[in-house]
Amino acid sequence: MTASVDAGRHRAGPAFLTSPGMRLVGKRLLLAVPIVLGVSILTFWVLNLIPGSAAQQLLGPEATPAQVRALELELGLDRPAVLRYLDWLGGAVTGDLGQSLVSRQPVTDLLGERLAVSGELVVLAFVISLGLAVPTALLAAHRPNRLFDRISMVVSITGLSVANYVLALLLVLVFAVQMAVLPAIGFVPLSQGLGENLRSMALPAAAIAFPLYCFYTRFLRGDLVDQLQGEDYVTTARAKGIGPWQVLVRHAFRNSAFGLITVVGLNLGSLIGGTVIVEQIFALPGIGQLMLQAINTRDFVVVQACVVVFAVVAVLANLLADLLYAVLDPRIRYGSR
Amino acid sequence: MRAHDDVLAGAGGVQESHFPALSGPESGFPELPADGETLLEVRDLRVRFSRRGRHVHAVNGLSYRLEAGRMLAIIGESGSGKSVSSRALMGLLPSTATVTGSARFAGTELVGMTEAQMRRRRGADIAMVFQDPTRSLNPTMRIGTQVVEAVRAHADLDRRAARRRAVELLSLVRMPVPEQRFGEYPHQLSGGMRQRVMIAIALAGEPRLLIADEATTALDVTTQAQIMELLVELQHRLGMAVILISHDLGLAASYAQDVLVMYAGRGVEHAAAETLFAHVRMPYTRALLGAIPLLEREPHTLLPVVPGQPPDLSALPAGCPFAPRCASADEQCAVDPPLTEHEPGHRWACWHPVPDAPAPDAASGDRS
Ligand SMILES: Nc1ncnc2c1ncn2[C@@H]1O[C@H](COP(=O)(O)OP(=O)(O)O)[C@@H](O)[C@H]1O
Ligand SMILES: [Mg+2]
Repeated sequence: MTASVDAGRHRAGPAFLTSPGMRLVGKRLLLAVPIVLGVSILTFWVLNLIPGSAAQQLLGPEATPAQVRALELELGLDRPAVLRYLDWLGGAVTGDLGQSLVSRQPVTDLLGERLAVSGELVVLAFVISLGLAVPTALLAAHRPNRLFDRISMVVSITGLSVANYVLALLLVLVFAVQMAVLPAIGFVPLSQGLGENLRSMALPAAAIAFPLYCFYTRFLRGDLVDQLQGEDYVTTARAKGIGPWQVLVRHAFRNSAFGLITVVGLNLGSLIGGTVIVEQIFALPGIGQLMLQAINTRDFVVVQACVVVFAVVAVLANLLADLLYAVLDPRIRYGSR
Repeated sequence: MRAHDDVLAGAGGVQESHFPALSGPESGFPELPADGETLLEVRDLRVRFSRRGRHVHAVNGLSYRLEAGRMLAIIGESGSGKSVSSRALMGLLPSTATVTGSARFAGTELVGMTEAQMRRRRGADIAMVFQDPTRSLNPTMRIGTQVVEAVRAHADLDRRAARRRAVELLSLVRMPVPEQRFGEYPHQLSGGMRQRVMIAIALAGEPRLLIADEATTALDVTTQAQIMELLVELQHRLGMAVILISHDLGLAASYAQDVLVMYAGRGVEHAAAETLFAHVRMPYTRALLGAIPLLEREPHTLLPVVPGQPPDLSALPAGCPFAPRCASADEQCAVDPPLTEHEPGHRWACWHPVPDAPAPDAASGDRS
């Protein structure tokens, strides 16, 4: 009797790919297509609204109208915007993002090296901020409103109210100028050794990581305290007679982690945008720096590519968070009744 | 998953095949206690919550005695301090609470214990099952892991032994196919099955007292009866005392040996169940029971609403706290009546006890 009841139950394993979690991710992936398309159309349209032709900008104010016209023809700028967009889209789908108007190099080549630099920066900032935020939040939530919690609160609020570039300049002042332990600017590629590479990345990564660290700490500490004070399963855990750290880490943190994953996913998307200013300050050859240069030279093809890359990264980061969530949360993994 | 509960309901009485012999010497459960041995003695227990200078007096001089192996029902309106007074016994109150008075468990004073001392006793001396089995289990953890954690909290067992013990506990609470259920998550179980898991967790430390705080309130009537049967059975098999906190008078009358009625954070009437329901003395208990004799009630009747407002626990007036709502109240009630044993085994706190109702046959004659 009980066996027949159990035979009807669905189990994990082979059914994983058709699980509700996977369906959710599939839906998100479908949604990502119109988002990236929309961003690319909007960027194309806005770039076209900017007064003055790109050819005029490229040739400078002394160029004759005939010269400008010739360049426009050469670059295909005389064709209607819709057709030019469709051309671009056709190329983009096959992995060809066109040529830089200025250097005439393929945009994908330009992006390649720079994405690696920005990617390293983001990953470093992300690892530093989360790696420090989790233990800080656990310690703070262990004894809420006591000394450690208060100090971490003050640090976090300060960190959240200081602008990114101010922090970057402060870091340069302290570590590069006063103590002279880290380089202020310049980038050492990984090929010249991990140590030197990390030293050149330390200050920019810290400048991005610190506000994130503050934010994650605040968020996680708050959620942990809410779980500890408001959730019945915490009372059950305490009533078992297990220790406070076990209650905190095995029970409260396990549940708070889901909220954190969502926040990190949302954040990771905007993080790549946050690199623009920091790369500029520390003269890192990342994608943010590339985009600022391209805007200055009216290299619209490159600007367009950078914006689309930002959008794709943001969408992928959110998708990754959903995926993690689906893999980790049993309620999604196995579906709810 | 309701089907599982029905399976058990259909099976009727005890299914011996479902459980290993757990009350034998190897189980580690205590021997059945001698009759009349005091397990818990609560004396003048008080709990005060303080927040921003405001005080809520949730428990105000609660006193009762519980013998080993018995089931005591604590009943009373919502807010009368049933949950707070029992959580105080396990040190499970928030830091805003101040507990004073005395609660001796098997001779050991619980009030004033440090958190570390209290932790070693939680689950091992006193365990608790809560109202909402959905919220009381960790949704992100397999139920087996949650039971194993409770097992290992008090016994120095390796993984495999702890797992074996956890499966035993799940069979003890009559979880069908416990080995399979072990790896499932709480949301995959029915409410009744979740509450069985909660009971298995509570039993893991072999407690001598199990507090069931409205443990069946969130369940449907059939499941409720099954869980109650299980609790009674465990009480007898394991020689464990049970405090049954409930809104359900039918439950208190049918399962408990003793009944304590609480009002405004104190006991107002306390007796063996038959005595109390046959000879209600305290007007508040009378109001709780309503005018209809208990036998005439549908099973699982909820407490009727008593007219008037429960007292403000942040500003309790002097005198009997029930006086403002009591038809028999007079100037004498300005003096607080103590909870005293007026008749053998029957204690109440009232200056104007209700006299016995007319003889049962006269009453039934009136109705026909
Ligand atoms: N954490 C708390 N802070 C302040 N007051 C509380 C707290 N918990 C319970 N109380 C108050 O204590 C009183 C008794 O509550 P409780 O024991 O839960 O009642 P019940 O008899 O319904 O179980 C209620 O008035 C309630 O508002
Ligand atoms: Mg309650």
